[in-house]
Amino acid sequence: MKAAPYDYVRPSSIEEACTILAEAGGGAQVLAGGQTLMPLLALRMSQPFILVDINHIPELQGVTSVDGGTRVGPITRQNEALVDPILNRDLPTLIRALSHVGHHQTRNRGTIGGSIALGEPAAEMPATAVALGAKVEVRSASQTRFIPADELYFGPYATAIEPDELLTAIHYPAWPDDTITLFREVAMRPGDFALVGLVGALTVEKGVIARAGICWFGMGPTPMKAKSAEVALIGQSIDTLDAAATADLAIADTAPFGDHHATADYRRTVGRRIFVRVLQEALNMRQAA
Amino acid sequence: MNAPDRSGGIGANRFIGQRVPRKEDARLLTGKGTYVDDVVMPGMLHVAFVRSPIARGRILSIDTSIARDQPGVHAIVTQDDLARFNVTMLSFFIGPVEVAMTPLADGRVAYVGHPVVMVVADDRYLAEDAASLVVVDYAEEDAVVSIEDARHGPAVHPDTDDNVAAMMGEDEEDAEFEALLASGAHLVTQTVHHQRISQSPMETRGVVAALQGDEELLVHITCAGPHLVARWLTVALGNPKMNIRVVAKDVGGSFGLKNHPWLEEVSAILGAMLLRRPLKWIEDRIENLTASNQAREQEIILRAAFDADGKLLASHADYSLNNGAYPMGADANIAVHMFMWSAYNIPAYSFVSRGYYTNTAGLAAYRGPWAIETLVRETLMDAAARQIGIDPIEIRRRNLCTAAHQPSVTSLGIPREDITPAECLEKLLETVDVAAFRREQAEARKEGRYLGIGFAAYIEPTGAAGSIGVMTGELAQVRVDPTGKVVAIMNVHSQGHGTQTTMAQCIAEQLGVPLADVTIFDGDSSRGGFGPGAGGSRQGVIGGGAAIRAGRLLADKIKTVAAHLLNANPENISIEDGMIRVAGAPEMTRSLREIAEIAYGEPSRLPPGMETGLEAQIRYDPPAMTFTSAAHAAIVEVDAETGFVKIRRWVSSEDCGVMINPAVVEGQIAGGLAQGIGSVLLEEAGYDARGNPIAATFKDYMLPTIFDVPDFEYVHANTPSKAEGGFRGVGEGGCIIGPPTLVNAIADALAPFGEVAVDLPLTPSKLLAVIDGTPLPPKPMSRFHPEWVNPYADTAAATKTDGPVEEVPAGATLLPGGTHAALAETAARGIDGAWNLTLATPMGPQPMTATFATEGSIVRGRLESNEGAQEFEGTVEDNQVKWSMKVTKPMPITLKYDLTFDGDTVTGKCKMGMFGTAKVKGQRV
Amino acid sequence: MSEHKIELTVNGRHHRGTVEGRHTLGDWLRGQAGYTGVHIGCEHGVCGACTVMVDGRAVRSCLMLAVQADGCTVTTVEGLADPDGTLHPVQQALKDCHGLQCGFCTPGIVCTLAALTADGAQPGEEKLTAAMSGHICRCTGYQGIRRAIRQIAGTDTSAAQGAAHAEQGA
Repeated sequence: MKAAPYDYVRPSSIEEACTILAEAGGGAQVLAGGQTLMPLLALRMSQPFILVDINHIPELQGVTSVDGGTRVGPITRQNEALVDPILNRDLPTLIRALSHVGHHQTRNRGTIGGSIALGEPAAEMPATAVALGAKVEVRSASQTRFIPADELYFGPYATAIEPDELLTAIHYPAWPDDTITLFREVAMRPGDFALVGLVGALTVEKGVIARAGICWFGMGPTPMKAKSAEVALIGQSIDTLDAAATADLAIADTAPFGDHHATADYRRTVGRRIFVRVLQEALNMRQAA
Repeated sequence: MNAPDRSGGIGANRFIGQRVPRKEDARLLTGKGTYVDDVVMPGMLHVAFVRSPIARGRILSIDTSIARDQPGVHAIVTQDDLARFNVTMLSFFIGPVEVAMTPLADGRVAYVGHPVVMVVADDRYLAEDAASLVVVDYAEEDAVVSIEDARHGPAVHPDTDDNVAAMMGEDEEDAEFEALLASGAHLVTQTVHHQRISQSPMETRGVVAALQGDEELLVHITCAGPHLVARWLTVALGNPKMNIRVVAKDVGGSFGLKNHPWLEEVSAILGAMLLRRPLKWIEDRIENLTASNQAREQEIILRAAFDADGKLLASHADYSLNNGAYPMGADANIAVHMFMWSAYNIPAYSFVSRGYYTNTAGLAAYRGPWAIETLVRETLMDAAARQIGIDPIEIRRRNLCTAAHQPSVTSLGIPREDITPAECLEKLLETVDVAAFRREQAEARKEGRYLGIGFAAYIEPTGAAGSIGVMTGELAQVRVDPTGKVVAIMNVHSQGHGTQTTMAQCIAEQLGVPLADVTIFDGDSSRGGFGPGAGGSRQGVIGGGAAIRAGRLLADKIKTVAAHLLNANPENISIEDGMIRVAGAPEMTRSLREIAEIAYGEPSRLPPGMETGLEAQIRYDPPAMTFTSAAHAAIVEVDAETGFVKIRRWVSSEDCGVMINPAVVEGQIAGGLAQGIGSVLLEEAGYDARGNPIAATFKDYMLPTIFDVPDFEYVHANTPSKAEGGFRGVGEGGCIIGPPTLVNAIADALAPFGEVAVDLPLTPSKLLAVIDGTPLPPKPMSRFHPEWVNPYADTAAATKTDGPVEEVPAGATLLPGGTHAALAETAARGIDGAWNLTLATPMGPQPMTATFATEGSIVRGRLESNEGAQEFEGTVEDNQVKWSMKVTKPMPITLKYDLTFDGDTVTGKCKMGMFGTAKVKGQRV
Repeated sequence: MSEHKIELTVNGRHHRGTVEGRHTLGDWLRGQAGYTGVHIGCEHGVCGACTVMVDGRAVRSCLMLAVQADGCTVTTVEGLADPDGTLHPVQQALKDCHGLQCGFCTPGIVCTLAALTADGAQPGEEKLTAAMSGHICRCTGYQGIRRAIRQIAGTDTSAAQGAAHAEQGA
């Protein structure tokens, strides 16, 4: 179980990296934390000609507050992000989801951007980016563009990032201080990918839901945004909200598959239940506050 | 945990029974262990295999031309290159396997992962590069994957008529027995579907092999016992004119997988002989999860009749075991039936047992290979309790074999003299307050929380020697060096068992020396006596007994020497903490070193005629079977929203006799229980319908983590066994009793919703289906089942090309009148003469030669095998011959043969008393 | 295929080497640097046996390239005990509590616990146990590992039950 041969390169700037990607003509693979990519290389499921290690590009590192939100450098390590003061202050939903990513040891290497760029449909980071309405900044040798997270994913490990493009930042929009986090992950064991996962954020103004971002993970070929539920929630009073009816809408936006870990029915049934429970618990806390 | 005083007055009980830390741990904790991948030899090359990507088919061509030219590649080896070695693949019993088997595939592949080509290169990276460039062309055929496939599908192996690899028991319905079952007040039926399990030792398989000139083949291999591997290899290689030395220092777990070499290890060893270079093959995890032999894929239907009082009357089991393509011995798993009711009182038991070949990874042992008997029986007992309306504890109390029922012999010949499952259950109930739990359970249910308690009881045979040829006694060689240090050479072998500590405890106690002064060396077939290593929970019982006896022998010699030197009475000599003392004369105290120096170096000072040195060896053969008993209880909570199971408490009450080291005992129980939890909740090495493994990584083959295993509580009974030291084995028990304990707890928790089908693993999806009352998707029917409808029928009809289409000549289906008599005559003529027969015994195939002479309806003959020769007389009818004969080995039984002759082949069966029926096949000599 | 010169410190010793771009840190530590205490259990980041400390943090050495360790300080299980043989407190706790059987997964567990308790850090039992989700042990059922964690975290003194016998033992 050894990787096929490739050329390893270690650019020190975004420009250098983009030039390498452009010249590779699709034969390059970007290496960030490597916690998912390294097994794919070892299994020879990924056989690039060039492996582009972006861990030595300083511009890709770190968390900053920017106008309208938070900019996260893609090679920010998951364990560093977990203790980052900006993220803990401004994006508690991200922090909550991050604590479920992999294991302590993999979070020491794994990065936020690597997880988002790979697009595992049962992983926490892609779904959190979709739920929070993040956009990703990607650069190629010729241009910079922004892709909304909910337009990023086409299927398992299939993203809108072109082979010559590098993910250079994730921009999370600001959510108000009193935003409620919705989070529940049902996994066989801690650190496993989700059988059923739900992540979201709700803001409530004067007892009425003003903003909602909700996404499923492990519930389809990509992170599955609960669009109908989001639309239905906005404008609703938290006192009269029908959580069960909202859950039905949320489940309608999933397309789970069955495998030997769980059936598709299981994923739908449990998804609906945890949606109701997580929403009710969040609203109860809000009402109590 | 008080050991009886058997140490002859020299520091009794200082070590046996003590929870001492393990001697091997400092080495293993600092990275100084030596596992097989740590062995490096000058000039060593590395092996990678090209494996079949299909489950069944013919190899059309192998093109190695591109791979051969890759940098660093030394050789590309196929079966054509290995054929010259004429290897005979052997079962665990060192008998030839039942079907044609070669180290590398020979023309056909029989499972995904079947090794086809071996690449030898400078390092593993280069070997895998070249392996990816070997081009093998296959003609794929429909794979026989499940047991159901095997029943209806084509024969997996070209040299067998059907897929029944092994068969025991009564394969025809016995009306009398059915009537007996029907005669009880209650008939309870329990069905268990057990998934396939990967043993998953953390260290995968691996081997480093090197010729040492022409006299020695040195094999470093991760294994359960170096002597058994050396024996296996010597026979498999046709007794070559060299010694095969097998070394294994540290082994990272085995759990049944590493009992003896298999296709890959043999290929690598032959490669080393072929190339005359040291070769290393280290299995990677994907190979381990997909191509290593596996275990436990089985189905069983157990029926039990109870009288109106809930007492057992009779029981019948119908059992099937997936043997895969190349089992390490075709297996119908007779032990399942021998121990099915061994802890209970039941007047009658009958069974049928079949092992099936399939196009999957072959069968190997796994901790407690017969464990399904406890799973199906104990879950049946709970189902019976619910059905009859008795408490699950009460139904066990009414049926368990207690002291009052002993000595007795079960209907399958298991002698019971000192088993204590009922006592273990009572001790368990002193720790677990069942009444309090039932109150808590009732309260919780009102809140929509589902708690359950499960019980199980069992006995297991441990430390067997003498009943199975390969499972022998153990030799212990102990010496006090002239330095005063104690060294023992043994052939117990730790794959984590801690035998370097427990054996040292046994010896230090006998010799009266500090534990730190005793070192155990094992793991090298060139040293010590023969012993098979780990297997069948034998090492504590047999190795421990040998260690005690050798230590005692040596202590006696030390005392004799010391008495002579000190002019004292030997009875007044004691050895304490490495010092030799004379009672009442402290000034005469000497160190062991002083005595040892004299014993080796100054023969004139020894008693006349005494051999110099302080060395002793003894071989110990324990009683045929030593039983360990246990009863366990588990308390779980099942989340009715998600179907997840949380284990809240687990109590083990076991009787493994005198404990050498309670921490090691508890470690064995806990490890087995964790594996049991894995098999109930998490692990599954399954296949898709085409024979592709669905769990190729540890992401998909889910082993229990620290969060899946609760803190275990232990209650120890310590009824000394009849073996030396009073020990009983404890290696497998947790893995046997764990699954039913947990299944029963889950079933109890979910009792308000209905019965939980025991279809392992009990995934959240399956449990939620019980809770919600929603059906699970049906299991797909075997594509070979007569009623199977191809969902893609239109396209399949056009494309189905596999398998030869037999053309039946017109008119051949009906025989013209009068042919029957002619056929009978031909048949009778066809019987006389000499025949090679193979009897499929539970220990593997037994080759025999038979001669027959028919005379009318009488046949006389003679049967010869390794066990001896015997004459017989029987009857002939058409082409069918029947006779009976009595044998005494391995035990006195009557064999009833029933053979049908057809041309130059013969097939039939042999009824072997309580062992049921075995298949016979053969050819004319 | 590319080759790269690397320089790094392993267990306090300076190492230089040439590695192929695809060589994992685990393979390099075992094969080139001779630290065979680094055990390769799955090569896909699940079992945790190959865990080492890189710049003080526990990481999977199968999920990191050797070339990526250029300039780093690496500690393997061989680098934790004192030169006189005194075990690291984590090693001692695992020994006291029978926290290992076959010992194959053990080096990774030792490295994770050592990293979390380095420099006087005192993570609680919960945090140490949480980090164990990244290690698979097939032998022990985690009983001794859990007791060792309690001993390290100071939450259960009875966990050192075995230690009382250590003096008379090995």
